[in-house]
Amino acid sequence: MGTFSLKVLAANRIFFEGRCESLIIPSLDGLVGILANHENMVIAVKEGFIRIKPEDGSEIEALVSIGFFEIMNNRATLLVQTIERPEEIDIARAREAEERAKERLRQKQSLREHYHSQASLSRAMSRLKAASKYR
Amino acid sequence: MASIKEIQVRMKSIQDTMKITNAMYMISSSKLKKAKKSLEATEPYFYTLQNTMSQILRHIPDVENIYFDQHEGKNPEDKKIGYIVITADKGLVGAYNHNILKLADEQLQNCANPVLFVVGEVGRQYFKRKKIDIQEEFHYTVQNPTLGRARNIAETVMEMYRHGSLDEVYIIYTRMTNFIQAEAEMIKLLPWKRSDFYIKPPIDVPMEELALKPDACTVVNHIAADYFVGFVYGALVESFCSEQNSRMLAMEAAVDNAGEMLRELGIIYNRARQAMITQQITEVISGAKAQKKKKLS
Repeated sequence: MGTFSLKVLAANRIFFEGRCESLIIPSLDGLVGILANHENMVIAVKEGFIRIKPEDGSEIEALVSIGFFEIMNNRATLLVQTIERPEEIDIARAREAEERAKERLRQKQSLREHYHSQASLSRAMSRLKAASKYR
Repeated sequence: MASIKEIQVRMKSIQDTMKITNAMYMISSSKLKKAKKSLEATEPYFYTLQNTMSQILRHIPDVENIYFDQHEGKNPEDKKIGYIVITADKGLVGAYNHNILKLADEQLQNCANPVLFVVGEVGRQYFKRKKIDIQEEFHYTVQNPTLGRARNIAETVMEMYRHGSLDEVYIIYTRMTNFIQAEAEMIKLLPWKRSDFYIKPPIDVPMEELALKPDACTVVNHIAADYFVGFVYGALVESFCSEQNSRMLAMEAAVDNAGEMLRELGIIYNRARQAMITQQITEVISGAKAQKKKKLS
């Protein structure tokens, strides 16, 4: 099976760098699978799970926040704001953030605050979902 | 020559100042260690973000989008230009604040309608003193940059841009050029200009096509927000690291200078002390001699 080079970068760390066989990312309209020699493409990424299959046959799963993905000439880059392995998620913190965001959504607020709370809520919920799946 | 007492008082005050600068040196060097760590973690993201962005913009098909709108119909004088200026919270950082504010001042002179977003207390005080309006409710410190803070800043500015209260957005920050040097820099964040990134392709290489998913407009909107947050975060981290770095260097120089001054004053002090002792001995001897003469006669 062909491979392609992949770099997964978050704002505070390099998560993955190397060759891999396949990658699954959450795009705005559903999951997208990437294999070697994919058409050159830019994909908008939303919160959710990514699944990397490196050359050695193992499998890496991680939770990402919004970002974007680019593949060009068999070289792929995934740039996201945050990335965590399921075991790294702080459930207590995520739950608190969820509560806070819900509370804020209930109150009357400006449009910008509304979007802000909505974004925090979806981040918190995707973290909680990921954590519950793995524990 | 100054009296011995005066020299002693001066040496004491220098020693006290030296204690402060030395403490600040220690604090900033430990903070710098932390800042450098986060900078190292962020730099790959920051630079890949810029590279990827320019690559995407080179290949992206033509789309009608607010982020590409150059507002060419408007007079240059009527354009409302936003500047995000990142300064330190405190002084005593050598030329760090000065460089940033100088760059900002130069820009403000050519601009009729500036909107200033100032991060850091020093910058806020500076513009207030110069009676230049700044966005009041924009209160962020520069200590310990976080992604959440970058999101807040980005949301505020992006919303103003979308509503048309800003036509262009620049960010003025300090970048670490290498491990010891920092440089003030200004980058245009919005709107994007294709020609900024355009490199003429060689004739025999066909221009690569880049597909966008789900569609061009959505992707551009999505990436714009993400890019803005990423860039602001990167700039905050770079600035924080530069600030600690230049404070450390400034304090190190201050401690060195204080040591040098103390050494010089020490020599003067010893000379004055010696002169005093010599004078006293001369007085005693001449007194004794006078007594002897009196006895003999």
